[in-house]
Amino acid sequence: MSSQIRRRPSGAAKPLTFRTFLALSAGKAVARVARLAGRGGGTSITGMVARKVDPHILRKIVLDRGEPVVAITGSNGKTTTARFTAALLRGEGVTVSHNSAGANLVQGVTSLAVRSADLRGRLPGGVLVAEIDEGALPKVVPELSPMALLVTDLFRDQLDRFGEIYAVADAIESVAAGLPAESALIVNADDPMVATLAAKREGRRLNFGLALDHSTDRITRAADTIRCPRCRADLAYEQIYLSHMGDWHCPACKLRRPKLDVAVTSLEVMGLDRTRFTVKTPSGKLTIEIPQSGTHIAYNAAAAVAIVLGLGLPLEHAAASLKSVGPAFGRLEKIEADDRTIILAFAKNPTSYNTTLRALATEDEPRQLLIAASNTLIDGEDFGWLWDVDFESMAPRVERAIVSGTRADELANRLKYAGLSPRKMVVVEDRGPALNAALHGLPVGGRLVVLSSYTPMLEVRDEMRKRGWTGRFWDA
Amino acid sequence: MTEPKAPRRKTAAPKRAAPKPAPAKPAPKPAVAPAKSPPPAAARVAPRRRRPETHDHRPLRIAHLYPSLLNVAGDGGNLIAVSRRAEWRGIPVEVTAVEKGETPDYGRFDIVLFHGGQDVEMEVVAADFIRHGPSLRRAAEDGVLVFAVCAGLQLLGRRYVSNAGEVMEGIGILDLETRGGPQRFMQHAACEVTIDGVAETVVGFENHSGLTELGPGCEPFGRVLAGAGNNGRDGTEGARWQNVFATYLHGPCLPKNPWLTDRLIEIAVSRVEGEPFTLAPLDDEMEDRAHSVALAKAMANKGRRTALEAAHLVRGRKKS
Repeated sequence: MSSQIRRRPSGAAKPLTFRTFLALSAGKAVARVARLAGRGGGTSITGMVARKVDPHILRKIVLDRGEPVVAITGSNGKTTTARFTAALLRGEGVTVSHNSAGANLVQGVTSLAVRSADLRGRLPGGVLVAEIDEGALPKVVPELSPMALLVTDLFRDQLDRFGEIYAVADAIESVAAGLPAESALIVNADDPMVATLAAKREGRRLNFGLALDHSTDRITRAADTIRCPRCRADLAYEQIYLSHMGDWHCPACKLRRPKLDVAVTSLEVMGLDRTRFTVKTPSGKLTIEIPQSGTHIAYNAAAAVAIVLGLGLPLEHAAASLKSVGPAFGRLEKIEADDRTIILAFAKNPTSYNTTLRALATEDEPRQLLIAASNTLIDGEDFGWLWDVDFESMAPRVERAIVSGTRADELANRLKYAGLSPRKMVVVEDRGPALNAALHGLPVGGRLVVLSSYTPMLEVRDEMRKRGWTGRFWDA
Repeated sequence: MTEPKAPRRKTAAPKRAAPKPAPAKPAPKPAVAPAKSPPPAAARVAPRRRRPETHDHRPLRIAHLYPSLLNVAGDGGNLIAVSRRAEWRGIPVEVTAVEKGETPDYGRFDIVLFHGGQDVEMEVVAADFIRHGPSLRRAAEDGVLVFAVCAGLQLLGRRYVSNAGEVMEGIGILDLETRGGPQRFMQHAACEVTIDGVAETVVGFENHSGLTELGPGCEPFGRVLAGAGNNGRDGTEGARWQNVFATYLHGPCLPKNPWLTDRLIEIAVSRVEGEPFTLAPLDDEMEDRAHSVALAKAMANKGRRTALEAAHLVRGRKKS
């Protein structure tokens, strides 16, 4: 079946300028070359080149034509939520283009549009699902005018890039407040700072969150925002579900978590492989099982469900659409490497690290570990947050750790102070040799856990692709 | 958010570290020095080289200020570094989290750690911390070791005046004042710190917009080698008065500056035991490596204001 997507009212599509045509051609050509050369599928360079030729390319082919866009931002879960959203929409017969490789800066989003459009700048219809970095949001959103904007959560993520979490919140606030009334703003009600974003805005708004009768987490050192977003008093929680996310209220000014429109009412995390949960929505109850593990998976799926509702589309095939959505690349992704198994676990801040470590602990992992951190524009420069990760809980299990990446120094020192003996650690900065060292001595049937921030994870995964163990990350 | 509890402290020390003492006996010993048995003969010959394995220490009492409010930038690593490096020498530690609303007697502590935080949290802390002034001042005059970072430095000073002219009062045990600056310094940084006549390089990551001026009543913590230091102008980094050490260096600072960490522990232990105390050396290969990488980054970045272009994204959005 096919579902109707409202088009935004927009002026008659302006004829394409020659410049835009050139930008599209150049971008597409670069994408093809990059793909052939195996250089990351052109997920960023396409947009970079197209914008060089025509800086307004994104606005012209998306905004000016009234293409329906879903924008997904926040600290964690953007990629996974985008995948769930795409699956749900496709399940309802909607064509979807999305930046599945996590290239979410302005170049990445432009790449998505350029690659999806034909040479006359026409998108294939349906919905463009764009994952957008919190920092790039103020620049990208005015060029898209999304029909739905989702804010997943706000965690400390690369303070060296954004200064402070409050600056990120301010940037998102101004974007959210400026969203047209007919667009849906979808927020995580369990995250106090997100729940209260654009509180004065009048327009469509959907709150999602968990409504379980028990906590699934406790406040840890990685808690980021547990002050009342209105009066700055300490918040109190009925239940805590994930880091600072939960059923919160302010004892001082009586601000409470808003009423949930989409609520996860039961949740069962089954080892490293599956999560089963029920979601209550205005249009009924869904029982969903997803081949990925963790509380955050329920959050991401609830967010995707809220997006579909926000677009005014049905959810008739939701369970079937989600039942085979495996992990995005590096999200506890299992890879068979000859006779061994490699688990790729992507982690980029204390909360995603702690969430991942907790999931791994359910299977008494990691024991054989390849762990990496690199300073890049994407991964950040300051790795001080590694000291907020609960590596202490992991250290007793680790039998051997290969420490890699350009910041292997900081990571190895952190692990030493977490109680991992330096005798169990080998520092191998380069990712290829590190993978060799990690696999060397791993017995047949053994399991290697790779824990890493974004860039080294891509590099390790690329090494594995060269060995024929996995596809390219942009196909994952 | 909780203070690291017992399990953390039980973490096994690396086996190749300095020989551990016999299983830590509970040392039901009076807190202060006089009750100690006379040092062994060897120690009398070389008093600054007392061997830790022949000696029971009473726990170092560490106050960790506002851990749930001042919890960004990994500064909690400073507590981890002090604790582990003391324990690896057979010196137990006892950590007390001091949260909002509490009024501790700082005379009970040997080490006080006061870390950085974001602006909003800093305001909450400032309003609460002002009550701690008299007690912390007495303790500092008495030689209690204080190590403060960023917001901690600013609130130990006299006041912080934001760009908008709002005044946040500090407790003034450091003769310094901070004003909001026009931009943020975010970069790897290094300075030279002199303690007991020995100068060493100290490295870290600075992330602040406040501009601090030192008064005559305190010295700088260090001299800037790379980075902005207190104000990007006069070459001073941080502040020191008595055993109060304050710096802008996050990183966290102490784990990658084992020399500094050990000096701080020695100062605290010497005060507890009433005589100069020297820590046995450890194998610091990991720490030295982290130190030298950070130093190289700081020196390579010299003269720039931020480590990353992307920091420009939100420049000007911050109010202080």
